[in-house]
Amino acid sequence: MEARSPLAITLSVWRAIFLREALDRLFKERAAWVWLLVEPVMHIAFFVWVFAVVRARNIGGIDTSVWIMVGMLSFFLFRRTAIQVMHAPSSNKAFFSYRQVKPFDTALMRGVMEGFLMIMMSVIVLFIANLLGIPTIPGDPLLVIVTCGVLWLYGLGYGLVASVLMELVPELEHVLQILMLPLYLISGVIVPISSIPYPYQDYMMINPIAHGLELVRQGFAPHYHTASGTSLGYILAFAMTHVFLGLLLYRRFALRLVMR
Amino acid sequence: MIAIKDVYKRYKTRHGMGEMVLCGVTVTIPSGVNVGLIGGNGAGKSTLLSLIGGVDHPTKGTIERNCRISWPVGQGGLEPTLTGRQNAKFVCRVHGHYDDLEDRVAYIHDFSELREAFDEPIYTYSSGMRSRLQFSMSMAFDFDVYISDEVTAAGDAAFRKKAAASFRDLSDRAGLIMVAHGEKTLKDNCQSGIWLVDGKAHWFDKLDDALKAYNEHNAK
Repeated sequence: MEARSPLAITLSVWRAIFLREALDRLFKERAAWVWLLVEPVMHIAFFVWVFAVVRARNIGGIDTSVWIMVGMLSFFLFRRTAIQVMHAPSSNKAFFSYRQVKPFDTALMRGVMEGFLMIMMSVIVLFIANLLGIPTIPGDPLLVIVTCGVLWLYGLGYGLVASVLMELVPELEHVLQILMLPLYLISGVIVPISSIPYPYQDYMMINPIAHGLELVRQGFAPHYHTASGTSLGYILAFAMTHVFLGLLLYRRFALRLVMR
Repeated sequence: MIAIKDVYKRYKTRHGMGEMVLCGVTVTIPSGVNVGLIGGNGAGKSTLLSLIGGVDHPTKGTIERNCRISWPVGQGGLEPTLTGRQNAKFVCRVHGHYDDLEDRVAYIHDFSELREAFDEPIYTYSSGMRSRLQFSMSMAFDFDVYISDEVTAAGDAAFRKKAAASFRDLSDRAGLIMVAHGEKTLKDNCQSGIWLVDGKAHWFDKLDDALKAYNEHNAK
């Protein structure tokens, strides 16, 4: 039999993993795909309700509902991608006995899967919100697309680095899990960063995810007042550093991830 | 043809780098020859086999493969949460069989005799059912060289008979590199032998010579 080219092997492995991950993510339990949608919708609904009760009509000059919705979806894009990629090699261990399947393939495909699902979900949520009269048509779609791409890339990079580190030092899993919770609070998902006094606002803006959320909001409503110092270059630099560090770690520790 | 050139291998242990398991193995395995790996426990048979299979990499040296090599027969990984069918499809896809996927999955379903259980998750399987599925998956693909570590057949007596027959059939049409402790299994399936001792490999065109050398070494 003729040998396949490395590219052909990689592509068929990617396709196989993508389909396997889709099965796992969407049909693992009864109506598993419903729960994917329910989690962000509940978070959004709860905070929209809280802000309605305190009569905060707008934040930074834009509608509160849009502010929450867009921020929440972007944050979930990062967090879900990061967490899924992080656990990709450990949940595909069984398949590494086929030498064609490399840990990196599983990580990348999980990232792609999650990005794909988040786009679908975000479109559904924003479409329904639009029908309810919330202005969710982006004013600067290009900025939204680019920023979401960078947030996804950062999630992928973070996941890549974390998955290798977790394999080398298993205790890190707990540490990384603990880190994820405050991230929700300090990224400006529910607390507007521009409402925080100086010099603490600058400290908050060290976190690259905060930049991402501010930029996506600006993409939806170009007149939005972002927190000072918001920069696409900053989060892009973080994302690229993580992706390349992740690739380096995968190159260096490829075998450690495969060995049982 | 598989050319193993000056291969060294040692593993990391809890106490740093372990001792060399293989030190300077140089063997060329011609295509279409069935080879048995012979050696005592810990001589590095399984290590060499996983290096040939490409699951592991040598510490030093190179291995050249100009053919399609299987994963260890009957030891392919199964994801417990997926069904037998989904696992089978995954393996077909990984090996690039998209066009004839249905045929191969049907073959695996038929050969494994799992019937309805084929559509149940792997975690519900007994160990016999698992190994039947694993063995059937190995039989469903055409490789130039198959590698086999100890397992030639599994399951109940009837399945074992059928499996042994198709394994022999396979060793006639393709190359085979196997580790087995039973001399009879080796003699049934192999013509040539590699004797591993003290981290070195010795090639014998005739399996009997290899077994003789191994037994004489043990008697000493």
